[in-house]
Amino acid sequence: MKTVWTQKGFLIPAGALLIAILLPIFASEYALHIAVLVLLYAYLSTAWNVLGGYAGQHSLGHSLFLGIGAYTSTFLFTKIGLTPWVGMWIGALLAGLVGWFVGYLCFRYGLKGPYFALVTIAIAEAMVSLTNNINFIGGAMGLEVKWLGNSPLLMQFESKAGYYYIALVMLVIALWLVYWLSRQRFGYHLIAVRENEDAAEALGVDTLRVKIQASILSAFLTALGGTFFAQYFTYINPRNVFGEGPSIQILLFAIVGGLGTVWGPAVGALVLVPIAELARGWLGGSFAGAHLLLYGTVMVLVMLFMPKGIIGLYESIRQRLKRGSSAPEEERTPA
Amino acid sequence: MIFSYELLAQAIVTGILIGGIFALISVGLSMIWGVMRIINFAHGEFLMIGMYIAYFLTAKAGWDPYLTIFITTPMLFLVGALIFQSTIRPILKDPSMNQIMLTLGLSLILQNLALVVFKADVLTSSTAYTRMNFMLGPVVVRGSQLIAFVGSALTAVFLYWFLQKTESGRAIRATAQNREAAALVGVNVRTTYLLAFGIGSATLGVAASLMIPFYYTSPTVGLFFGLIAYVVVVLGGLGNFIGALVAGLIIGLTESVGAAMLPGSLSRVLTYSLFVVVLLFRPQGIFGGKQQ
Amino acid sequence: MSMLTVSNLSRYFGGLAAVVDMSFTVEKGEIVGLIGPNGAGKTTVFNMLSGFIPPTSGEIIYQGRRMNGLKPHQICELGVTRTFQVVQPFPDMTVLENTMIGAYVRHPNTTDAKRKALETLERVDLDAKADKLGRDLTLLELKRLEIGKALASEPDLLLLDEAAAGLKDTEIEDILTLIRQLNREGMTLLIVEHLMKVIMNLSHRIIVLDFGKMIAEGTPQEISQHPAVLEAYLGKDE
Repeated sequence: MKTVWTQKGFLIPAGALLIAILLPIFASEYALHIAVLVLLYAYLSTAWNVLGGYAGQHSLGHSLFLGIGAYTSTFLFTKIGLTPWVGMWIGALLAGLVGWFVGYLCFRYGLKGPYFALVTIAIAEAMVSLTNNINFIGGAMGLEVKWLGNSPLLMQFESKAGYYYIALVMLVIALWLVYWLSRQRFGYHLIAVRENEDAAEALGVDTLRVKIQASILSAFLTALGGTFFAQYFTYINPRNVFGEGPSIQILLFAIVGGLGTVWGPAVGALVLVPIAELARGWLGGSFAGAHLLLYGTVMVLVMLFMPKGIIGLYESIRQRLKRGSSAPEEERTPA
Repeated sequence: MIFSYELLAQAIVTGILIGGIFALISVGLSMIWGVMRIINFAHGEFLMIGMYIAYFLTAKAGWDPYLTIFITTPMLFLVGALIFQSTIRPILKDPSMNQIMLTLGLSLILQNLALVVFKADVLTSSTAYTRMNFMLGPVVVRGSQLIAFVGSALTAVFLYWFLQKTESGRAIRATAQNREAAALVGVNVRTTYLLAFGIGSATLGVAASLMIPFYYTSPTVGLFFGLIAYVVVVLGGLGNFIGALVAGLIIGLTESVGAAMLPGSLSRVLTYSLFVVVLLFRPQGIFGGKQQ
Repeated sequence: MSMLTVSNLSRYFGGLAAVVDMSFTVEKGEIVGLIGPNGAGKTTVFNMLSGFIPPTSGEIIYQGRRMNGLKPHQICELGVTRTFQVVQPFPDMTVLENTMIGAYVRHPNTTDAKRKALETLERVDLDAKADKLGRDLTLLELKRLEIGKALASEPDLLLLDEAAAGLKDTEIEDILTLIRQLNREGMTLLIVEHLMKVIMNLSHRIIVLDFGKMIAEGTPQEISQHPAVLEAYLGKDE
């Protein structure tokens, strides 16, 4: 994959980071709420992108890992008072283990494409049913993160700014990690596996291992986001963390922004989340599901007209400008 | 849960009856996969559309639920054909993931459109058939479920006859087996795709009308039945007609017996686990996997 | 000891025999040609040597090590790299990145891998196209990339599957020159080729397969006069 921003082009992310750091000074609580959601979904989508975008193994059940992260830290917090700051790592390790197991099972038996997608959905849905029936984690009622007042040590904040900065740090670290990985052998191996598994294997890439590693890493990162999800919304239940909805939201922004690119998921979330949240705010209760309607429409339109997402579109425009008017390529004309 | 043979017998009877409906819901999906190698993730939502149509005709316009078949079936054919033509046809040659994402997007649209228009209310229509139950030894047989089972069986037979004996049916089977060869012997592949997608969707119209007397309608009803359809189709072998019918019964039994034996809604876990195991170890389905 | 020793190698697909009881060796520094009519089992042999399909029976020994049961990537790490008859590029990666995947086998560090890849691209005359995407290449460029990717992994034994198929005469000439040069630098090659003039020209030794069976082995001169070979070729093929 071509890199999107050259060294000089790092001005854009650097500028964006500066604005992001200063944002809480002048943003309202509502604006900050939207900003937190942007950061959270950008982060989750970035985590998904490691396996889905780079390695090309499209999990439609990543809510599995979101839920494991959310439930582990929240359970430990409500039952034994363990701070989510510690619980999140336990959840992430657990999710990593599950990511290894799921990855091993699927990839060992050569599941690909729609088959892998179906298995991941099924596992996540099984998890919904399972957790619905486990009473000590609240069953279908779920778990509530008790409000113990402003206490940073318990990842609880009076103002949204606290959550905002945590989400920002998580996103920056995730982006940096993916950026760094995309320049390492591992990153190139991921893409090679996606692009042509046989060719990769013939050139010494242990494709099974690479895919499993991607699954573990992606699960680990997603679960960390799960803990934050629980802390921020202060309430989780099987459907809203393990369900189909969160699974789609996790991958949506990577698809809209650009699969297998460093910045794609973040760009996708930045563009889409505010529109969706504003729509939800304006239309309120009379129009429940407005944001999902929007997401569905965007998914269809993106697949029809710009399957490489925003970054892909940007790239092809840039290429065309660079090449002047010479042969436009790989642009699809909609039927 | 206390075990008893009566309970088990009841579960088996219910499982077979429900399994018939599961099979009917799945044959269309299987056929669409067989012909054009696409998994329609909005399949369950198509069913939901059919159920809303059937519900309103029954509950508001006072129709006999089974009469609504003559509306739901052509309507669903139309819905399927329109959606196929406008969104799915343009991406038939794209990577399978794009197709999954697109149909997943469609399912989100339909589901939430229903939520907007009909609200989240769970609608049940109480028809004359709803209470038409009778005893078979210790087992209660629900008349509406028996009718649904028979209706499903008839529809399957009809579909099978259509695929075997008619010109269009043969075109569909030929295309499923080998697209290029079919085109060579004069099959219009474009039309055949449209027809297959339309018919695959229309079967959901039949299913919707048959289900109305005993099943509720809600915007998210497609989520469950969609998943069931994927499970059934994979179990029977993607594209395998007979396989889908048998697998429908197996899943019906699994769900129903599981529900009788396991506490809470854990039977769902059983169904999904079965699905995962089959995908892992026999992705071609338990009956081989080739189009019959 | 031979570099590669294949003994009693067989492969059946269902009841069908693709390769039957094949035994041969490849010595270090040799160019060995593997020929045979269409469907003779040449690619199946390659698939077994490179670990893509397991043999039904028989043994493959490379540098004293048994290779049965190893995966393709392990075999590549041991120094045996293959190319594919139908080119297998990474379409959405640049030519340079395509080649880097090969180079990473010996150079885990990206800077080193990049250097090695660029070096290799010069050899296969693709350095000017380093930034082009795999999907945008012509057939000739793809053929070169196929060899380039494999070369970048610095194999001791290179398995070339129809590297010249589909190319024009002048283009074939380039590839022949490259292969000879590689051989002179010490690389051992086992090549499958359809074009007789290529194989006769290049090989030190030739193995002939027909219907999965080895029917002859020898120098190009011997092979061109071998009665069984003449029959196999003139009898039914082309």
